[in-house]
Amino acid sequence: MKFSVSREQFMARLAIAVRCVSTRSAIQTLSGVLVEAEEGAGLELQATDMELGVRIRGEAAVERAGRAVLPARLLLDVVRSLPRDELSVEYRSSEQDVELVCGPSRFHLRTLPADDFPSLPTAEGAQAMTVPARAFVDTVNRVARSASRDETRPHLTGVLVNASASELRMVATDSYRLSVKETNLEAPVEGELEANVPARALQELSRIATGGAAESIAIAALQNQVVFTVADVVLSSRLVEGRFPNYRQLLPESYEHELRLNGAELFEVTRRISLLAQKNAPLRLRFAEGSLEISAQTPDVGEARESLPVPFQGEAIEIGFNPEFLRDGLESAESQEIVLKLISPLRPGLIQSGDDGGFLYLIMPIRLNV
Amino acid sequence: MCSMSGEATILHADVDAFFASVEQRDDPRLRGRPIVVGAGVVMAASYEARAYGVRGGMGGARARRLCPRVVVVEPRWPAYVEAGRAVFAIFERAAPLVEPLSIEEAFLDVRGLERISGSPADVAARLRCDVREQVGLALTVGVARTKILAKVASRLAKPDGLLVVAPEDETALLHPLPVELLWGIGRATAAKLHARGLETVGQVAGLTETTLISILGKASGRHVHALAQNRDSGPVRARRGRRRSFGSQRALGRSSTSPAALDADVVALVERVTRRMRASGGVGRTVTLRLRFDDYSRATRSHTLPRPTAATQTILAAMRELVAAAMPMIDRRGLTLVGVTIGNLDADRGAQLALPFEDPSGSALDEALDDVRDRFGPTAVTRAALLGR
Repeated sequence: MKFSVSREQFMARLAIAVRCVSTRSAIQTLSGVLVEAEEGAGLELQATDMELGVRIRGEAAVERAGRAVLPARLLLDVVRSLPRDELSVEYRSSEQDVELVCGPSRFHLRTLPADDFPSLPTAEGAQAMTVPARAFVDTVNRVARSASRDETRPHLTGVLVNASASELRMVATDSYRLSVKETNLEAPVEGELEANVPARALQELSRIATGGAAESIAIAALQNQVVFTVADVVLSSRLVEGRFPNYRQLLPESYEHELRLNGAELFEVTRRISLLAQKNAPLRLRFAEGSLEISAQTPDVGEARESLPVPFQGEAIEIGFNPEFLRDGLESAESQEIVLKLISPLRPGLIQSGDDGGFLYLIMPIRLNV
Repeated sequence: MCSMSGEATILHADVDAFFASVEQRDDPRLRGRPIVVGAGVVMAASYEARAYGVRGGMGGARARRLCPRVVVVEPRWPAYVEAGRAVFAIFERAAPLVEPLSIEEAFLDVRGLERISGSPADVAARLRCDVREQVGLALTVGVARTKILAKVASRLAKPDGLLVVAPEDETALLHPLPVELLWGIGRATAAKLHARGLETVGQVAGLTETTLISILGKASGRHVHALAQNRDSGPVRARRGRRRSFGSQRALGRSSTSPAALDADVVALVERVTRRMRASGGVGRTVTLRLRFDDYSRATRSHTLPRPTAATQTILAAMRELVAAAMPMIDRRGLTLVGVTIGNLDADRGAQLALPFEDPSGSALDEALDDVRDRFGPTAVTRAALLGR
């Protein structure tokens, strides 16, 4: 294998690959990136941790075809540090290493066993659906934070992605909060999609799509894999096993209180007061006639409180929330005006974007010890 | 001033003649005989020695003059520390709030435990029983509305006694007492009071604070005034700040235990501990299995959960995994005690509620069972595996 490539472009592709590399696998090859050069077709990089996989195509002047697996992190660090833009890469079979030459710099990196590198799923032959990249990424970013990071509850680590006709819907929950975002698409999609996709895969996809200029994303759902294609990048992920909870039944049918509030102001107050809600201390929201007082207290640290006028009517109630969960909800609403709906201190609260942007955030309270 | 609860819920628990009792417990030849611990100065005297007038703090020579038969024993600190820890482990299990006063003496606040553990008198009786059975020492407990009175009550009940002071009997009990029985009145203060002909608490209680200050000085005068008036001496405070763990253990017979019987023990322990956690609003992350083997060696195995919980099912699942992993060791070495501790506690934070979809932790079940047990007693509902136990 021998090719020359722009250092800048090679680095950008490597940076994507490195994020999918396994950091803790017993299989050494998985900590590497597979570099494959094909005459006339350019270069392809592959990386996987067996859950998430990525293939990135790019231009290169290929002199001799071939493949090699190189330690991904090290390769990126080396390429990033090289002094000029023209980089030449050559596999030396006699030495079992790869030579990188860039101006006066010369590096020799030992390769990892290429035969162990797994083959990644491809979308070839599968029915693919095309969605607008911008709408898809925006939808991901509104809900993905609510997915669980607790690996002991794998069925909650995914985002339920639904696309049919002109509607794209994503739902995520860690059982403490639930995010739903419905996005209207300008043009209807072909076919239907329902998949429980690991939140991490979607967050990577969002990063890749935001960094590139692609206008659309092709999605192919396979047996237990999903393959996303964004321009030159193919991201594949296993699907989450286990049923996604039936979230519709969790949304209360009616609420006691419905308040239209300035979302940005509430977010700012929440962020400030949260500073004194450390060590999982709850944020206390006390609603009384015409006002909302937000307070927090951390033993041995201190306390904070702030009141703001709100159109609350009726008997005062006090409800506790995890500060991070409340901030996430207010931030994800992404609208100047939000609607906050409450029932009672031990029932879920609902945050909606006031402009009816199709966003719902259901948040469970913390039971306050008086 | 702190508010006083209307009921007698404060316990003062104190092991009788602690050092001497530990020596008598560990050496049968010393039982029933007058002994003192410490050769130079008497650190502790057994009740047999006290009958001769021997007291702690007395010189060894004087003790031998008072009681020529007295046996002098060198102190064994490790034994006292271990016994003290065992006693405190029982205190910690009995009450959510334990304020240590010394190695074997503490205030316990058992307010609000009526539905779980019974009345304060019940808790006190069980405490005495547990310390006797599990540590082999006699514990005296005084129960009253304030710390001062609880301490007085245990002093009056010694040795090996229990005295509950009902709120309406407080004055009648307190006033005839000699002043030096009050906690915080030392020899010097008592002497000043005696010099004025003041012998009993009642006599002191008849004086104004100003008068007492003129006799004893400002700080001491105020203090004694408050004591004699039985003014609240503050709430029971855990010295270490917040509680660190919830735990329970069970001694097993020497006979080999079947895995099923062991599982039933673990289930019962987890149920007991998690229920206490829920009752006091505590949640914890670290689950520890404690084992003691035939040869008295011990081992612990722990697991830290992703988030704090008091859910029976979650903690039981973790505990069962620990037991399964320890099974080869248990088979090889023979088990004589199994204990369950939940540490890494999150206090005062309130519980994060979860959306009610398939709830693997079974918190709704826990709540329902807790309600039934609160109302109909701890044995009203039990697991099939625990029937007949």
